[in-house]
Amino acid sequence: MRQLKVALVMLLIGGVLTTVAFVMAFTTAEMQRFGTVTVDEPLDTAFPLMEVSERGYTYERPWFSQKIFYFHVPVAEASFLVFGVAAFYSIRFLMRRRKEFDTKARLAMETAIVFVTLTMITGILWTRAAWGVWWEWEPRLTTYFIMTLMMIGYFVLRNSIEDEERRATYAAAFGIIAFINAPISFFITRLIPSSHPVVFQSGFATSNLIPFIIAQIGMLMVGYAIYAIRASEVRLEERVDVLKDALEG
Amino acid sequence: MTVADTPTPPAPARQTGASLSWRQFKAILRKDIVMELRTKEMVTSMGIYALLTMVIYQVALSQAGTAFDPRDIAAGLLWLAFVFTSMLGLNRSLVHEKDQGCLEALLLSPVDRPIIFFAKAAGNVVFLLIVQALTIPVFAFLFLQRADQYGGDLWMIPLALAGGAIGIAGVGTLLATMSVNTKGKDFVLAVLFVPLMYPLLLAAVSATSAAVLGGDGYVQQFWSSMALVAAYDAIMLVAAFALYEFVIGA
Repeated sequence: MRQLKVALVMLLIGGVLTTVAFVMAFTTAEMQRFGTVTVDEPLDTAFPLMEVSERGYTYERPWFSQKIFYFHVPVAEASFLVFGVAAFYSIRFLMRRRKEFDTKARLAMETAIVFVTLTMITGILWTRAAWGVWWEWEPRLTTYFIMTLMMIGYFVLRNSIEDEERRATYAAAFGIIAFINAPISFFITRLIPSSHPVVFQSGFATSNLIPFIIAQIGMLMVGYAIYAIRASEVRLEERVDVLKDALEG
Repeated sequence: MTVADTPTPPAPARQTGASLSWRQFKAILRKDIVMELRTKEMVTSMGIYALLTMVIYQVALSQAGTAFDPRDIAAGLLWLAFVFTSMLGLNRSLVHEKDQGCLEALLLSPVDRPIIFFAKAAGNVVFLLIVQALTIPVFAFLFLQRADQYGGDLWMIPLALAGGAIGIAGVGTLLATMSVNTKGKDFVLAVLFVPLMYPLLLAAVSATSAAVLGGDGYVQQFWSSMALVAAYDAIMLVAAFALYEFVIGA
């Protein structure tokens, strides 16, 4: 029960922090401009027309889409972190063979799925605004997509095994081997040419860093809350099962 | 079954661990090959499956027009066929073991679990290579007739195929051991296998493509892709080897 109370408090604080970061992203954070873009045809767009010359129509580059940085990046980093937690508990399960580690690994993977879905949604919105396409087979996007498929595979595997111990063992083995892709996806933008931006190499104003850090802490708190609330739910289910058995026996 | 056929030493002279392991490895591998020679089931089913894939390629490319040269995507098409046939073969190689109770017998016998893994994986590599060797001439005959010259050196293609086959068999043996014990056998194998194979496939297609097409800097592209294939093979073989003991015991 104590964990549930902590989780609810964390959920509340996390929600407040994320909201604060949302407001700060549009108020105190320094506006980043990305120059102009020149096109042949006039566009139906809210972005100001800067210049009309013989070269074409010059518009200001969409700066507004940069604001998604304060949500997309914290959520994405949290997804890698929580996936790592799931892999960690998978290893602990194989070493100790205790059921609680299997449950923890499963709940962490569920939380990771939530973050991965949010990352995908925010990312797709951003690529539409910044690159003009919904999706591009680009190294970071592709490896991240593959990672998502592996997480889905993890649950497909779990759902198709009845025997409890076998399910736990197989899921742990697959969780570990799937996690090998996570560092690849994380570092790939730094290794091979990719159009996905790497913000933290190009320097950063303090006014932008503060909302980012607040959002990151808030997201992690919400993530922990999701995990802990699910954990207390699972514990209640187990208690109900024990009580049922006792009544029937 | 054929484990009994292996010559047993007359007196239980103490053997060194390495030579004993090597004999156990050979015995399991021989069992798989003898069984395949008797039934010819895996190579036939995989080979026919590969042929059917070629027919589907013809349908897929039927509207592409005469200007389109299949050579440009030949490497991708080849690996697509190998992915599907290997999933079929991996599933079969473990389903047999389970249905006939052979896996249990293997687990009861005093053989180290890693040796079972390497022997099964080696068997799968052999069958994959046989199917690849049968598929490539057919593929070349059906799709590459107009392209009378290959761009790269011919020895590069088997090297790329072998590198891919090792990775497929390594991870595939682990995953197939899991998937035969699940409710939806082949479906589960596909869901786990395809995403895990992605990096290997990308590198293997790049290497094969360089070997088929040639052109500027193809040697460099080939070797950098092969380095990725080798790195993937090494990492995944170590991971699968380490996890196999847990999986097969469950």
